[in-house]
Amino acid sequence: MRAKGIYGAFLAFFLIGIALFGNILIQQEKREQVRRILDQGNYLVSLVALHPIDDFTGDKGRFILRTLREYVSSDDLVYCFIHDHNGEPLASLGPDELISSIPKSVESQALYALGIKSQSFPVEGWEAAIYEFAKPIFAQGERTGTVRLGFRLHNPSLFAPERIELLALVAFFIISVAVLIYYGIILALRRLNNLSLGMKHEFLDPASAASGVVKGARVEQIIRDLEESLVLLRERMDSIELRKTELETKFGLTAFQKNQLTTILDAMRSGIMITDSQDNIIHINLYMLALLNKMREEMLDRPLWDVLDQDEILSFITQQGIQGRERQVDFVETTFPEVIPGNVFRVSSLNLQDSDGTGTGRMILVEDITNEKLAEKAKKEFVAHVTHELYTPLTTIKSYNEMLVTGEVRDPEMQTEFYNTILEETDRLQRLIENLLNISKIEMGSLTLQRGLVKSDSLVKDCVAAIETQARRKSITIEKLLPDNFPSLFGDKDLLKVAIINILGNAVKYTPENGSITFSLFEKDGAAVFDVADTGYGIAEEDLPHIFDKFYRSKDPNIADKTGSGLGLGITSEIVHLHGGEILVESEPGQGTRFSVRIPREEYHLGKQ
Amino acid sequence: MASNKTILVVDDEGPIRRIIELKLKNRGYNVITAKDGEEGLDLLRRQKPDAVVTDIMMPRLDGKSLCEHAEPLKQAGSFLTIVVTCRISPEERSWVARMTDTVLMEKPFSPSRLLECLEKYFEKDGS
Repeated sequence: MRAKGIYGAFLAFFLIGIALFGNILIQQEKREQVRRILDQGNYLVSLVALHPIDDFTGDKGRFILRTLREYVSSDDLVYCFIHDHNGEPLASLGPDELISSIPKSVESQALYALGIKSQSFPVEGWEAAIYEFAKPIFAQGERTGTVRLGFRLHNPSLFAPERIELLALVAFFIISVAVLIYYGIILALRRLNNLSLGMKHEFLDPASAASGVVKGARVEQIIRDLEESLVLLRERMDSIELRKTELETKFGLTAFQKNQLTTILDAMRSGIMITDSQDNIIHINLYMLALLNKMREEMLDRPLWDVLDQDEILSFITQQGIQGRERQVDFVETTFPEVIPGNVFRVSSLNLQDSDGTGTGRMILVEDITNEKLAEKAKKEFVAHVTHELYTPLTTIKSYNEMLVTGEVRDPEMQTEFYNTILEETDRLQRLIENLLNISKIEMGSLTLQRGLVKSDSLVKDCVAAIETQARRKSITIEKLLPDNFPSLFGDKDLLKVAIINILGNAVKYTPENGSITFSLFEKDGAAVFDVADTGYGIAEEDLPHIFDKFYRSKDPNIADKTGSGLGLGITSEIVHLHGGEILVESEPGQGTRFSVRIPREEYHLGKQ
Repeated sequence: MASNKTILVVDDEGPIRRIIELKLKNRGYNVITAKDGEEGLDLLRRQKPDAVVTDIMMPRLDGKSLCEHAEPLKQAGSFLTIVVTCRISPEERSWVARMTDTVLMEKPFSPSRLLECLEKYFEKDGS
């Protein structure tokens, strides 16, 4: 029953298809025929109307019409009339029964129209419609007659021989497609059909219950099929699950790496901004945010140009952009006075590239270089100071020598004074060079003690001898308070001498004429104490914390007037500390100063170096 | 010729002041001395010397500041300033170049060379 229904539907579908297609073909042919008739009619009526009206009388007229008949298929051209200007027929061609059946209205319209007139009309007894084309004939600007041509429009037949082949081809095509679709559906449904049939057989049909073995095999087969499908499904799900886990892990790892990068950048003590190739900020660390006084949310994913107010940095970045994409490190210095007043920062930019050299953005680094700047300034000042200190005695020596050599100084007393000055300046230069060597050793950490037994009595004697001349020149008395038993020390005699002479020398230098210096040595708490007290200018309170600083010189005119490198006390302090001792200062401006140097005593054992 | 010229010598180093003073006095110049820039500026204003010889590194007021203070005084009547320094750095050259009638002389200098420089200036000056 169902098969019959399918075939019936198929047949109906087939017939409707053929009918529709045939109709389309007929309509198409009719349209083509009308077009052909219109073209032909307009052309022929114009051609015939070119003849003068006289040509259509007598034999010539018949000849023209005959030629027309030969030229045009008789199936199409059904009549031709030539009328004179009064509407009287001059010549005619066509079947009489047709001519007599042409409606009057068509005839009159044709006769009086001015241009080409085309009209269609049905004729009783003729299956086809007639298309009439009419055109007036003119001679010397006056209408002399009318040409009328009638064409027949055939009704095409669906089963005309030329269409039968095409229809057969279409029928074949429709049948093929229908068959293919049918079998496609059958194939697709077969497995399901088998399954459902199998189920019916196994569980519902009591007739098949007897064949237990076959039934069992079928059930097993179905279960196996189901199991296989389930296994395949499970494998597919497992693979999707695995891929999901893999992607989640990758995503987690990327997030972790990003977090880690942020943590690392935040821990850095320089400002860092990383941008993408469009100069949008993709990373900015805490230090940079603090410098700009901004929140991270205000900066991230925004163009540098929108969020940075520092024109110096922006113009620097613009210049970097112009210079090209090659890796380069250049810098500009800037300040953030509202956040860290007084500090100087260096801004550098590094173009970032991926492995194939494509630019991926840039890293902007902002480093605090205040200390570098201070160190640079200090270095410059140090060099300037040392140069000045070295050249000053040298200038004196050279110029005094020149005066002596050129004989400009003839007075013997003055000559002696000059020689003494040269000697003093040479000593000064020597001391300065020694101090510089010592300070450079201290700076490099290579000032080491050549320890040995130091007898304090000879140390005191050497030190006093070194300053006695200067003291005498200023009429300064040196009072020595020395013990009966001089303590022995385990230390570097030469360096200890340098340390104590520096203190004694300062006492002489900064004590006005006729003053006094007390130099005492005593033992206290297992240490030898060298004590130097003077009646000098004293040290101003603001200078006290700096007296051991390298090159520090007081602005006090009493101090500044005297020559000095500003190195002496720094070296002394270093030497005392290397001996494990300490140095104490007490001072009262205008009253005097007391320096106490404590050097711990150490047992001296033979062979100990 | 030199007897009517007064030279101001500004240096914190006694021996250097002494030798320049001696050299110039031997040549017949009047010499006045100052041991720092402040004292020098005071003498400059009060005594209006014909030339100044000054050191740069000095307490209280350094040689550069002294020259800067002297600049307006040169508008009334210019005078030579010889700046004696031990390090001629580009910065020093540039500020000295901006000053009127100011020249640099490197330490250790020769007193004869200093005298030569002064005399050349006075000759050119036509006085």
